[in-house]
Amino acid sequence: MNNEEETPETPRGPEHRLRKELPQERPADADAPGAVEEAAGPEEPEAALTGRQRLAQGLWPPRVSRAQLIVALLLFGLGFGLAVQVASNSDSGSALRGARQEDLVRILDELDDRTQRLQDEKQGLEDQRSELENSSDRAEEARKQTAEKEKQLGILAGTVAAQGPGITMTIQDTKGTVQADMLLDAIQELRAAGAEAIQVNGVRVVASTYLSDSGKSVSVDGNKITQPYRFQVIGKPQDLEPALNIPGGVVQTLEKEQATVAVERSTKIVVDALRAAEQPDYARSSSQ
Amino acid sequence: MIAVLGLVVGVVAGLLVRPEIPAVVEPYLPIAVVAALDAVFGGLRAMLDGIFDDKVFVVSFLSNVVVAALIVFLGDKLGVGAQLSTGVVVVLGIRIFSNAAAIRRHVFRA
Repeated sequence: MNNEEETPETPRGPEHRLRKELPQERPADADAPGAVEEAAGPEEPEAALTGRQRLAQGLWPPRVSRAQLIVALLLFGLGFGLAVQVASNSDSGSALRGARQEDLVRILDELDDRTQRLQDEKQGLEDQRSELENSSDRAEEARKQTAEKEKQLGILAGTVAAQGPGITMTIQDTKGTVQADMLLDAIQELRAAGAEAIQVNGVRVVASTYLSDSGKSVSVDGNKITQPYRFQVIGKPQDLEPALNIPGGVVQTLEKEQATVAVERSTKIVVDALRAAEQPDYARSSSQ
Repeated sequence: MIAVLGLVVGVVAGLLVRPEIPAVVEPYLPIAVVAALDAVFGGLRAMLDGIFDDKVFVVSFLSNVVVAALIVFLGDKLGVGAQLSTGVVVVLGIRIFSNAAAIRRHVFRA
């Protein structure tokens, strides 16, 4: 389809004959040593132009002719297309630009698969995350509840200080007639009336508290206390005070022993006497 | 000379403008460029042989491009686009090589 193939069908007079002469000339040129060839060069233009001379002639001087312009236009198109193609191919982002349809379909399928896989993985990881969050939430909740419970139990066991509304009962026993059982009755009465934390003269009263007579005074858990006996009780004052004052109750019994009893309500009682937590030696929880 | 200038200007313009290739033309451009290159080498050889004719060059250039695009189009329709365009590139490459050999003999006499 190029010029050369079509020349046989388009006879071109003298130039065509020149073209046919060329093959015969060439072997002669090829055989000749370089120096001879150089010498032969100048002779040729009269007979026939060599390709090199034709090239030089074509290049210089520039001739503006219809043929040149048309060829320039076509070559412009070629150069343009070439540059555009090269540029678009070397574009790093558009490696897919030159890909064929089936390749693109395959790539798309692979991407879809990959997307699916990654989605699944993401789903799994999110599930795992929410699970962990839940469990950590639960652990947090359990920890909070444990701390809460610890405080409550600590108040009961006397290992933490407590404060709240309650009453203060002061027993003046100048004659030394008050005995441990009377104080125990008072404590029982307070407990029955809903006392939550009790301390007597700086000794915390808990479940294992015992009172005993010790000469003219009383000892609580082995700590000897002297009168006046000062009970600080946290509970509902409206319940505690009447419980002590009922006829035949603690207050009357004590006053019969010639002790003076003063009960006063307070909105803020601080029970800050502490006991060390004791690990039971024999009793074990049976709930497991 | 003007022809060479046209080529250079084309390359520069293509690099500077960087137009978006329309999707319709996209698959045909590479093959068309190779076909046009073949026509250019043929034309150069003809010029060195002294038988260059602008009309023949124009026709061969355009027909090369059109036929190459047509083959690719047909190949895509038949489902052998990849193989067929490879074949076209091989054939055109062989022709470019033989033309380049002829040009070389003219220019370097070897």
